[in-house]
Amino acid sequence: MICDFTIREILATIFVLGGSLFFVGSAIGMLRLPDFYTRIHASGNSETLGCMLSFIGLVIYEGLTITALKMVMIFTIVFLANPIGSHILSKAAYKSGHRVLTSKDLEKEEDEDADIHH
Amino acid sequence: MIKQESADNARIVGSPMVHNVSLFLLLFAFWMALVGTLSTKFIIYGLITAAVTVWLCYPLLLVPNKDGSKKYFVFGVPVFKFISYSVWLMWQLVLANIDVLKATTSQELDIDPKVVRFYFKVDNPMAYVVLANSITLTPGTVTLNVDDDGLFEIHALTTGAAEGVLDGSFQKKVADLYGEAYEFTVVEEEE
Repeated sequence: MICDFTIREILATIFVLGGSLFFVGSAIGMLRLPDFYTRIHASGNSETLGCMLSFIGLVIYEGLTITALKMVMIFTIVFLANPIGSHILSKAAYKSGHRVLTSKDLEKEEDEDADIHH
Repeated sequence: MIKQESADNARIVGSPMVHNVSLFLLLFAFWMALVGTLSTKFIIYGLITAAVTVWLCYPLLLVPNKDGSKKYFVFGVPVFKFISYSVWLMWQLVLANIDVLKATTSQELDIDPKVVRFYFKVDNPMAYVVLANSITLTPGTVTLNVDDDGLFEIHALTTGAAEGVLDGSFQKKVADLYGEAYEFTVVEEEE
């Protein structure tokens, strides 16, 4: 044996790291995207696949115990409840008339930035 | 008020007995999983609390349809169909996640944010909930608003995400899940 880890621990680590990748991607998206609505999409990244992979990793690490079952329950509830939060936030913004940025606006902004620099 | 009154003598879809028993079993299983031991005391507590909860909550879990002629049970969905739908949704999530991750972390932001609209009409109000929730859950699309006529307003981040919502596969899956006829029309964008 090269190292003291069991196959289960290695698998769990791979899954949790995969989940972290999506969490990091979500954070990067949060910083880079231009407006409110697009940033909500970035949060969707972490709340679905990030959460899913992390929980699968933890369940594999835990094995077939009651704790693993509880984790699956938490995961299910997160899955059902999280979109409601995103939806209510975006609905509130949309109803109160927050303007939706489109690709045309993005091009315009780029042109203005270019003008300032030259 | 008129809607409320007509909803009171509405016909409940499915058998209330089956609904009550399945809800009771679900709650009892949830309780037992949280307790984690098989002692008599907790089993009796669980039976009593599950029964009381079902008795209190069952009337709240019936939602009337639009004209108020029928009432649908919120969890009244075929279990095996729902599981196969969930598996399909998970796979869609993985694809959409990778798509959004690529778009947001590429050198140039590869995004095309816009609002897309479509009409989706079914009788069961829960189908709207499941569709709107599934769309929001998928990264790259967020449901902004659903109105009484079944007009969905979706904010899409990338071109691929917008096409995924408008090609009708989601709508077909949700309508199949509830075994209902559906109407689906895309509202063309005004330039």
